[in-house]
Amino acid sequence: MSVRVLFFGSLADKLGQRECSVPATECMTLADLVRLVKCECFSPLLLAVNQQQVTDATTMITDGDEVAIMPPFSGG
Amino acid sequence: MMDAKMVRIQEEDFSVEEEVNALRETSKRIGGIATFLGCARDFSEGRDVFSICFEQYAGMAETALAALRAEAMEKFDIIEVRIIHRITTVHAGDQIVLIVVGAEHRKPAFAACEWMIDTLKQRVPIWKKEVTPDGDSWVTQHP
Repeated sequence: MSVRVLFFGSLADKLGQRECSVPATECMTLADLVRLVKCECFSPLLLAVNQQQVTDATTMITDGDEVAIMPPFSGG
Repeated sequence: MMDAKMVRIQEEDFSVEEEVNALRETSKRIGGIATFLGCARDFSEGRDVFSICFEQYAGMAETALAALRAEAMEKFDIIEVRIIHRITTVHAGDQIVLIVVGAEHRKPAFAACEWMIDTLKQRVPIWKKEVTPDGDSWVTQHP
């Protein structure tokens, strides 16, 4: 019963980790998860659930989900 | 052997000529081809850049590139698109990204090419870190 959380770019460097696992709880939103992994102070952030970008922080997170917490993109 | 995939994320370098030829082979109706080739610079934000390291969100990045191509095909009067983005460490002058657009006429080819590189920077989960004399620095966004 867990959620895999991925961090990228400058955010991963600031946190000192690229990935972690958190216990899946009932009624956990994306915003709850961002707070749980102590990312709420970073802005702007982009979020994805199961490789789909999500802008609604009230999106529910469930067991087995993969959540990506990302700084703005800078490819090209 | 030319890769048949129209959208690719890869470590290795690519040949612009081979990619343009591969696009031309997809249709004899193509009358204009526009390309955007992004290369590594040795100077950025007022300082030297030794190298640039790229990172991607594997899977999502290629999906986002494919969606970008699909949207461009809908949005513009164009015939075919090839997009390649390298994920590796590059040095000044190295190739990073290539967009090749084929259309019947030049105007939609140019417009689609510009829209795709602008939109790629906003929508595709790729990040770059510049290695400079002052240390490593993640790039926020270039205009």
